[in-house]
Amino acid sequence: MRVAVDGIDVEVADGATVLDAAGAAGRWVPTLCFDERQAPFGACRACLVGVEGSAAPLPACTTPCRDGMAVATEDPAARRVATAVVELVLSELPEPPASHTELAQVADRLGVGEPRWPGEVHPKVEADTRHPYLAFRHELCISCGRCVRACDELQGTFALTATGRGFGANVAAGLDEGFRASACVSCGACADTCPTDAITEVSLLP
Amino acid sequence: MTTTCGYCGVGCRLETHVHDGRIASITPAMDGPANLGHTCLKGRFAHQFSRNRERLATPLIRDARGEAPRPATWDEAMERIVAELTRIRSAHGPNAIAGLASSRATNEDCYAMQRLMRAAIGTNNIDNCSRVCHSPTSYALRKALGLSGATGSFSDFDHADATILIGANPTEGHPVVGARIKQATLRGMKLVTIDPRRIELADYGVLHLSPRPGSNAAVMLGIAHVIERDGFVNRAFVDARTEGFDALLELLPSYAPDAVEAISGVPAEGIEEAARIYAEAANACFSWGLGVTEHKYGSEVVQLVCDVALMTGKIGRPGSALLPLRGQNNVQGSSDMGALPDTYTAYRSVEDEDVARSFEDAWGVPLSRRKGYTIPQMFDAAVAGDLRAMYIFGEDVAQTDPNTAHVVHALESLDFLVCQDIFETETTKHADVILPASSFLEKSGTFTNAERRVQLVAPAIDPPGEARTDFEIIKAVSRALGHELGWETPADAMDEIAALTPDWAGISHERLGRRGLQWPVAPDGTDAPILYERSFTRKGGRAHFAALPYKEPGDAADDEFPLILVTGRRLQHYNAGTMTRRTGNVELMDADLLEIHPDDAARLWIADGDRISVRSRVGRIELPAQVTERIEPGHVFTTFHFPETRTNLLVGASADVNTSCPEYKVVAVDVRPIGEEPAKVPALAGGA
Repeated sequence: MRVAVDGIDVEVADGATVLDAAGAAGRWVPTLCFDERQAPFGACRACLVGVEGSAAPLPACTTPCRDGMAVATEDPAARRVATAVVELVLSELPEPPASHTELAQVADRLGVGEPRWPGEVHPKVEADTRHPYLAFRHELCISCGRCVRACDELQGTFALTATGRGFGANVAAGLDEGFRASACVSCGACADTCPTDAITEVSLLP
Repeated sequence: MTTTCGYCGVGCRLETHVHDGRIASITPAMDGPANLGHTCLKGRFAHQFSRNRERLATPLIRDARGEAPRPATWDEAMERIVAELTRIRSAHGPNAIAGLASSRATNEDCYAMQRLMRAAIGTNNIDNCSRVCHSPTSYALRKALGLSGATGSFSDFDHADATILIGANPTEGHPVVGARIKQATLRGMKLVTIDPRRIELADYGVLHLSPRPGSNAAVMLGIAHVIERDGFVNRAFVDARTEGFDALLELLPSYAPDAVEAISGVPAEGIEEAARIYAEAANACFSWGLGVTEHKYGSEVVQLVCDVALMTGKIGRPGSALLPLRGQNNVQGSSDMGALPDTYTAYRSVEDEDVARSFEDAWGVPLSRRKGYTIPQMFDAAVAGDLRAMYIFGEDVAQTDPNTAHVVHALESLDFLVCQDIFETETTKHADVILPASSFLEKSGTFTNAERRVQLVAPAIDPPGEARTDFEIIKAVSRALGHELGWETPADAMDEIAALTPDWAGISHERLGRRGLQWPVAPDGTDAPILYERSFTRKGGRAHFAALPYKEPGDAADDEFPLILVTGRRLQHYNAGTMTRRTGNVELMDADLLEIHPDDAARLWIADGDRISVRSRVGRIELPAQVTERIEPGHVFTTFHFPETRTNLLVGASADVNTSCPEYKVVAVDVRPIGEEPAKVPALAGGA
């Protein structure tokens, strides 16, 4: 079927998402909870785009394409919400994310600087380095769920769990016993997908 | 820099990230066809060995046996090698010298090594470590189907409705394929696991069978029996594309499920169910590992696996494939390259006049038409005094080959031993000259994975100190022996391989790109993800059924040795552990353990963690016990990752009848507790 993204016509397969179509058209859409190795999740709302005929912006990663659809990746309403989402995420962190992280790159590209909403931030805690290779830096977790899904959908070990709720939402290995004591097989898929370094390699800790 | 992983045969594509001349991090390549953006802890994390202070960084020479080796210059080492090899060749002939190529090294390294032995020395005494793992697979696939390789690709697991996995533990030995199989089961693929251990994937399958070690042939014949009895034979396929089916039919009446249960211990209904799951699936795969091959009749079992696939026509299309899980990163390629005593590249016989002439023309020297020694024959010949010198490259035979006492005796009987490696090993302890070589992170070339996919290897860092790449070392040794290999780079060597090997005709480094090519590759670059879509690569284009009865394994439990030992690999370590023991992986696992079932442990008064003695007909070792229900009663399991354990002291000389692949998987042993602590009371009467 044919889809127009920012006026660029692209041919996509049945079942393709709006994010796939944008990729085919070479148009950038910000994402935080998306990883091409995982099923779309639609949690972060950073990938909102305008779709002709839709009253509100739609998440590109979970919206399937329709033949003849017209998508605007820089729709002002969509971009305003997406930018606010990223700014809110940043406002909870005790320090700006490292420049190599996906979160920092998305924020930079959207022009999000110092968050306008000072307030409570995640308290800095000592990095959990009980495993020889994998470290948790819990204060950097933005609850995107990518690590949990990497463990489930790529590796199939189901060692990671989303814990807590609201501001206290985070991630844990097993029953929060650390990677080593959990069912973890040390494949590192979680560190590879993490967009903030909340899970990273021990040898790469600052 | 994108490269190909140097651990197992999955062939994950990796991105290496370097800082200050060291590997800082390794991440998966998103477009790797075998790994699809994933890796395991070995490929991703176990790279610190590359800068370990024990790395060999200068040539070493031992002036007299029993002395410690001393650092030497490359010139001195080369002079010594040339002087000794020349002296031994003139005194005893070229066949008194043998070489081993490495399944850890690149195709170009292995090709260079076999050319060195054949052209510079003048002997076919060249072999590689696939001898001790998948040589039975290679032999059987060639006999049954034509080509020595998987008939499809790992992506076939994604298209299969069912898979029978036999004698393999991929979530530990081949973790990325293990994860892929697991994901396929979560999407609905029916998995049947056949293994004496209840492997992790058994929990994801629909059926697990635990045959007695050495009875795989009976299980396969039982499955074939049920398929035939219940009318699942694909007659059209059998008639059009195969030969020899009638001989198999004559054999099958003896293998009714009840009879197979008596031989293998697998319940008759398990055989029935496995056969139905496989036969009823529209598409189904077979996958196997060393639990099939490392047996006295391993090569026959692989032929029987082919029989089952052929009688149902499940071969040569997406989702229906035979997928052997090759152990090492380049175990496919080292054999493809002709680092074998009986074949040139692509398994063409050294006795084939036309083939031999083509190599003589290219290399400008006369070549022997006589088959050389296999690895076990090399050791026998060394003890007998017929073999005087060996050049062993990238293999620790004194730790990994069976019958360790015999191997050491052989190495000590040699007049001269050259080892080329990245660390000192059990084998280098007996070497006269030790050459410092390179790991996969420091070299360029290609590896061929278990899907026959030839993929590029690119250096991320430099070899330490004076160490050189294997390719440069072999070139230099050959030149010093008077035979110039004439290549500047590994890419030049690949061009020669392509020119002399029809199945590799279309391969060049430039053409391989990021995704590699699966041989056979036509001159125009068309590769072959699926083999045998229309015909088989045998005379007449037909596949061959093997009619092979079950025969008893080389070793069996008796009163003196009542338990059967199976050996294998664990997730955290890799074979001899030369690399992984020098990484953080030892924090995750720091010793070999003997798995034993709680019933056996209670009977023998063994508790979890106890140090125990394991004695076989040929040797004895000590190690800690791990009491677990993963293993069946009557069996024990351990690994061979730590040299202090020396597991292979226990393994005898029994080997595959066709390929001399050792029978690592069936060793009768006696297990008992040791130590001065008073024996503990076994779990109070109720637990027994």
